[in-house]
Amino acid sequence: MPPFDKTQVQSKPFKQRKSFATRKQEVAGIRSKFPNKIPVIIERYAREKYLPPLDKTKFLVPHELTMTQFVTIIRNRMSLLPSQAFYLLINGGGMASMSLTMAQVYRDHQDQDGFLYMTYASQEMFGG
Amino acid sequence: MNTVSPSAVQYVGGGMQDELVESRRQQPLEQQGSFSLRLPQTPDPSREATGEPDEMDKLKAKLMSAWNNVKYGWTVKSKTSFNKMSPVTLLGHSYLLNSEDEVERFRLAFVSRIWLTYRREFPQLEGSTWTTDCGWGCMLRSGQMLLAQGLLVHLMPRDWAWPDAQQLTDVDFEVFRPRSPARAGGVPIPSFGSPRGSNTPEKSLSDQAPKCSQKQRPESVRDRQAEPIHHNLVTWFGDQPPAPFGLHQLVEIGKGSGKKAGDWYGPSIVAHILRKAVAKTSVLHNLAVYVAQDCTVYKEDVVHLCDLSLSQTPPDPSSQAWKSVIILVPVRLGGEALNPSYIECVKNILKLDCCIGIIGGKPKHSLYFIGFQDEQLLYLDPHYSQPVVDFSQVNFSLESFHCSSPKKMPFNRMDPSCTIGFYAKNKKDFESLCSAVGVALSSTKEKYPIFTFVEGQGQDYGLEGHCSNHSGPAAHILPPGKLGRSNSRRISDEFVFL
Repeated sequence: MPPFDKTQVQSKPFKQRKSFATRKQEVAGIRSKFPNKIPVIIERYAREKYLPPLDKTKFLVPHELTMTQFVTIIRNRMSLLPSQAFYLLINGGGMASMSLTMAQVYRDHQDQDGFLYMTYASQEMFGG
Repeated sequence: MNTVSPSAVQYVGGGMQDELVESRRQQPLEQQGSFSLRLPQTPDPSREATGEPDEMDKLKAKLMSAWNNVKYGWTVKSKTSFNKMSPVTLLGHSYLLNSEDEVERFRLAFVSRIWLTYRREFPQLEGSTWTTDCGWGCMLRSGQMLLAQGLLVHLMPRDWAWPDAQQLTDVDFEVFRPRSPARAGGVPIPSFGSPRGSNTPEKSLSDQAPKCSQKQRPESVRDRQAEPIHHNLVTWFGDQPPAPFGLHQLVEIGKGSGKKAGDWYGPSIVAHILRKAVAKTSVLHNLAVYVAQDCTVYKEDVVHLCDLSLSQTPPDPSSQAWKSVIILVPVRLGGEALNPSYIECVKNILKLDCCIGIIGGKPKHSLYFIGFQDEQLLYLDPHYSQPVVDFSQVNFSLESFHCSSPKKMPFNRMDPSCTIGFYAKNKKDFESLCSAVGVALSSTKEKYPIFTFVEGQGQDYGLEGHCSNHSGPAAHILPPGKLGRSNSRRISDEFVFL
């Protein structure tokens, strides 16, 4: 058997690992158990080279948590220095305003399957 | 052997196929070139700068220079077309280039910006064999240009223009009439400022400009008097170890963030390097740099940095002492590419008087953005290899520190990673900056602003409680290569409760 390749597991996004029906079912299940929590998927930007991978992708987040607090929690889990660049991109493209609560972000950006998808990335380097 | 280029390694890391090929092709030449600069007859770097190279060396140097200019993406011949029908914005000012007066104002505004580029044959960077930043230092150069712009606003008279600003080169001013098929190709009407434009019926600007600029600008006496400050300011960016904002100093400071000479830098790291460089220097006392974290400017943190009465013991609220501040906001305006919904906002920011520009670039290729016209960004490009300038000579030439050919690129090629810069001279300026930037950020269709101003301090935002979570359950970072497949599958299927 070839040695375990962690990047292979990492590189396949959650959406591709599970069918729409499975994901929808999962959200329905967790929402019925925890109606006050928002199901969030956080994945590393596919081309990210500087930030470490997270071992978990699924988070249940309180409604009233602000983006600032949320980002700080993730930063701490990765043991990042304050000066290290870290951005959460919603649906892979936009930044959410830091003063918004998770409930506001969820309302505007939840996926059809019921999850809120976020990608984390640092900054690109320039040199050529 | 000590000249093998780490940039080649970086290209591999970047993974771009064409660049990879290019770097392989370039490597032997680069090695050869570097060797020639370090031939035994001039082993001492200080002598090297003043020593007289023989004809062969001169030729080699010329070839190397030409080669570097091709290699680092500087397109020598291409002309930049400006639409005469729509305004050009340059650092908060707007110019409609349909009259010679306006072209002249634009010329002064553009050429007066400080241009910092790749340099070669400078004293070796400590702890490395590098005597040039060609091929790796472009983001540091863009950062230097941003800081230099902040210092111009900080130290020079308002709307200062360099009295010796060169004529514009490689520009065309055209009338674009997109709806008229006859003119769709953008036929050059008169070619103001172009050295080759003298055969057009209208007189070329290059013949008249020096005279009329002296006539038209009552400030020219004042600006001339400011020349010693201008000279001094440029020396701070000199390529020698003692220069407070020179490459040597910036690379040294960058070591604290795990960077070294030859590495590639990002706009956020450079923002922090600039902050430290300004805090460290003794040439400026009345200026601080604030770098926003997580796209948030905490106003009280800026106040703490600037309000000198707070640091007095006992605090004296009646004191008027207030430091000027450069505010740097590192952002990421999208994933792989710039999110088009942010373009309007970037334009609004560049229209602001308090904006000192944006450091970013095209992917892998750093540029200093200073304005825009229609759907194109206006920039200064550091990718131009120039020999080091010897500042020890009185009245050294400033010509290589100013750029006479404005360049543009489409917004959609802009890399999403960048750092936006602002300057506020005093407390009142800072307050109007906050409201003006706030308006610029929120006046677009995009619902969420790209960054925000928040009252209070970063530490007020109740993060201590959440931070303590960190010491709780086991580390959540995947230990490299430790977890088996089944294990990792199981873990990632669970929800984490926050």
